Amino acid sequence: MEIIEKIKTNKSNDNLTEIQKICLDKLESSPLPSPKSEQWRLSNKSKFSNFLNYSVNEKDPKFDTPFPNTSQSTIRLVIGDNCQINLIEENYSIKQLNEDELIKYIKEQISYFDQNENWSDLLNLSLNCTKNILGLKINGSAIPPIEIFSHASSNSLNAKTLVIFLEKNCDIDLLQVNLGKDNSSLSQSTFFCLEENSSVNHGVVSYGENKSNLLNSLNVIQQNNSEYNLGSLHFKFNYARFEIRIKQSEGNAKTNIKGMQITKKDEQISTFTKIDFHGPNGFLDQINKSLADDKSHAIFEGSIIVPKIAQKTDASQLSRNLLLSNLAQIDTKPQLEIIADDVKCKHGATISQLNEEELFYMRTRGITLKEASKLQLSSYFQEIISFIPISKERWDLLDKLLNEN
Amino acid sequence: MVNENLVKDVVKEPYKYGFVTDIETEKIAKGLNEDIIRLISQKKEEPKFLLDFRLKAFKKWQKMKEPDWAGLGYKQIDYQDIIYYSAPKQKEKISSLDEVDPKLLETFDKLGIPLTEQKKLTNVAVDAVFDSVSIATTFREELAEHGVIFCSISEAVKHHSDLIEKYLGTVVPPSDNYFAALNSAVFSDGSFVYIPKGVNCPMDLSSYFRINSGDSGQFERTLIIAEESSSVSYLEGCTAPMFDTNTLHAAVVELIALDDASIKYSTVQNWYAGDEEGIGGIFNFVTKRGKCLGKRSKISWSQVETGSAITWKYPSCLLLGEESVGEFYSVALTNNLQQADTGTKMIHIGPKTKSTIVSKGISAGNSINSYRGLVKMGTKATGSRNYSQCDSMLIGDQASANTFPYIKSQQPNSEIEHEASTCRISEDQLFYLQSRGIEFEEAVSMMVSGFCRDVFNQLPMEFAAEADKLLALKLEGSVG
Repeated sequence: MEIIEKIKTNKSNDNLTEIQKICLDKLESSPLPSPKSEQWRLSNKSKFSNFLNYSVNEKDPKFDTPFPNTSQSTIRLVIGDNCQINLIEENYSIKQLNEDELIKYIKEQISYFDQNENWSDLLNLSLNCTKNILGLKINGSAIPPIEIFSHASSNSLNAKTLVIFLEKNCDIDLLQVNLGKDNSSLSQSTFFCLEENSSVNHGVVSYGENKSNLLNSLNVIQQNNSEYNLGSLHFKFNYARFEIRIKQSEGNAKTNIKGMQITKKDEQISTFTKIDFHGPNGFLDQINKSLADDKSHAIFEGSIIVPKIAQKTDASQLSRNLLLSNLAQIDTKPQLEIIADDVKCKHGATISQLNEEELFYMRTRGITLKEASKLQLSSYFQEIISFIPISKERWDLLDKLLNEN
Repeated sequence: MVNENLVKDVVKEPYKYGFVTDIETEKIAKGLNEDIIRLISQKKEEPKFLLDFRLKAFKKWQKMKEPDWAGLGYKQIDYQDIIYYSAPKQKEKISSLDEVDPKLLETFDKLGIPLTEQKKLTNVAVDAVFDSVSIATTFREELAEHGVIFCSISEAVKHHSDLIEKYLGTVVPPSDNYFAALNSAVFSDGSFVYIPKGVNCPMDLSSYFRINSGDSGQFERTLIIAEESSSVSYLEGCTAPMFDTNTLHAAVVELIALDDASIKYSTVQNWYAGDEEGIGGIFNFVTKRGKCLGKRSKISWSQVETGSAITWKYPSCLLLGEESVGEFYSVALTNNLQQADTGTKMIHIGPKTKSTIVSKGISAGNSINSYRGLVKMGTKATGSRNYSQCDSMLIGDQASANTFPYIKSQQPNSEIEHEASTCRISEDQLFYLQSRGIEFEEAVSMMVSGFCRDVFNQLPMEFAAEADKLLALKLEGSVG
């Protein structure tokens, strides 16, 4: 209940937007996610309450992290106060959704929400006033790559929302970067709608600093013949949850996901994915990697749902995990729920440590153990990093990860 | 294109064990309370420690909630509307099989378990349990020569109470779960096996469970103890008559393997599954768990689950001893409106422990077939390994196949591998077989058989034949 009180005391009831009121109403019936539900069962309670502990900050946080230089062709947007964009070029247009359109869409989404499953979204939308919601409608071709930033400021709880409509026959590369600060909490919700024949290469890179927390929720609806490729990377968070919900609403769509989470110290990072096939001929190829060191805890839960209508679905899900310390923990739970009979579905999971034979081989060639481990890790990371679109070189992701370990 | 209806016809096969034996039975009043528990204990002339065990379990059960996490849809069970003790009336003490009511012998004869001819026919000792009591146990003298104790648990309570007191509830404590608590409070009969040090049990042991009465539940309890360097293979079969009402079966099986001991536990479960509309059938809520206490001990579960309206069963292994081994091989077939939620738990506690899981699920009709398993590597399980494989076969587009593996590791020097896949009866393969002159039904039979081969290979000879036959009956009509 505390969180609701906090939001309400932050501003008078009249100042709440319509969406905030709807979400607060829903939250009132379940102020906190049920720890018995599968999605929240393993969540560290003290870390989660630490997430909610900071005061709500609606102001634009000060941005003091040095950004890598942007190349001229890249469009860079920071969700917050003065984010304005209205680009109408010859081949393409990127327009900001007006408030009515945004409210209509979000309200529709809320009507499908499940209290436990979408708790992060409910929290996000009840925290958020319109200025921290960025809605974009994109169409056309030869669209320059887009970078979108969300960030938190120290000692506060920030919420950012991103809504993107990708119109028919439109292709984009989009990199979303979520940055945590010292002792901060960031709630990020993203809603993606891919219309027919559209395709997106989506990168999500989230990293924090000391004691930063993140609730990152991603909701994607894919229409006929759309293609959604996601490369994601989460590291350096005291507590982070990445929830991915993808719905192939008419089938005939392609989804590729390559995600990775790296935990050290006593961090807990979890990834939850739910892929819903609502039509025939759907395709999914998913790999999720975790690396847990020190006393940390990495969690992966993935479910693939194939109802009767989704015949000829071809789905595969792989969870690969590296456990590097005696005190670290890994939980993984890939799930299949299948009713359609003419489908190809498989999943796999492995938990192990670095391959000793490979390490031994490299050491016999004069490479030190440290170097050999680094080489192995870099190949482990590289598969995911190479899938993240644009600017990955400028962000030096591989170096960041290797130096971390 | 495979003719869907043809496959569905093949899948339909009436339940042939659905007859009721008309025999005079002694039943106690319906309902569950402390007095009923005292009455059951009194009828079985139990020592005080066991009555206390039951009452304690009952108190715990009263505080517990029926689990709903498996998401099984079944109508609420009225625990006060069940008879907790039902036994066929017969002479007080039976000294030989000749004194057993011929009707009972005839019943087991009809079920393919000829108790009288057993001695001559096969080399398997049988303990036959009818409703709440054990009717007969064969080959006892021969087993006793080797020091093997094989009797009903009620007899064991009387004659080997020290062993019962020492081991009962040590693997599945009464507070373990709702149905284990219920069983601990009201358990009626079941088998007890004790294999002394260094003895390889000279024959397979077997229990056959038969529910006859429509309004009484069956709550059997089995306890198997294998001392150092001993080994035993135990088989379990079950059937029930066809009733329109649902009958509750909540059993507990505990296995204990000490140093270098090995226990192989095989089940063919063929309780009545209800009719096509989902009316009637057994609710099968079973807790089975083995404890590999000793070094290099081994517990192997193999099961063929074809019956029951609801199956809720997760035979597990606690791998405590160094280099101990746990195995789970399962075939679960569901049809019509059956729901099966089954799997295993492999808890690796000791170092260098190994486990293998092979699960095959076949779902037909409107049934739901789920694999739910847990593999856990504890902090001390260095050098441990697990391999799991879960395959599902779907027949028709109304059945559902789910896989929920939970994997948890706290030990970096261990390896876990899990894989799962889903398939259907391939049209190409069917076409190929048919083009070689093999009948459609036989082709389906061959493919199902092939799909389950990994598991059937693990079953003891007697059961492998029975399991194949059973699947053939359930799936393949007259084709065997």
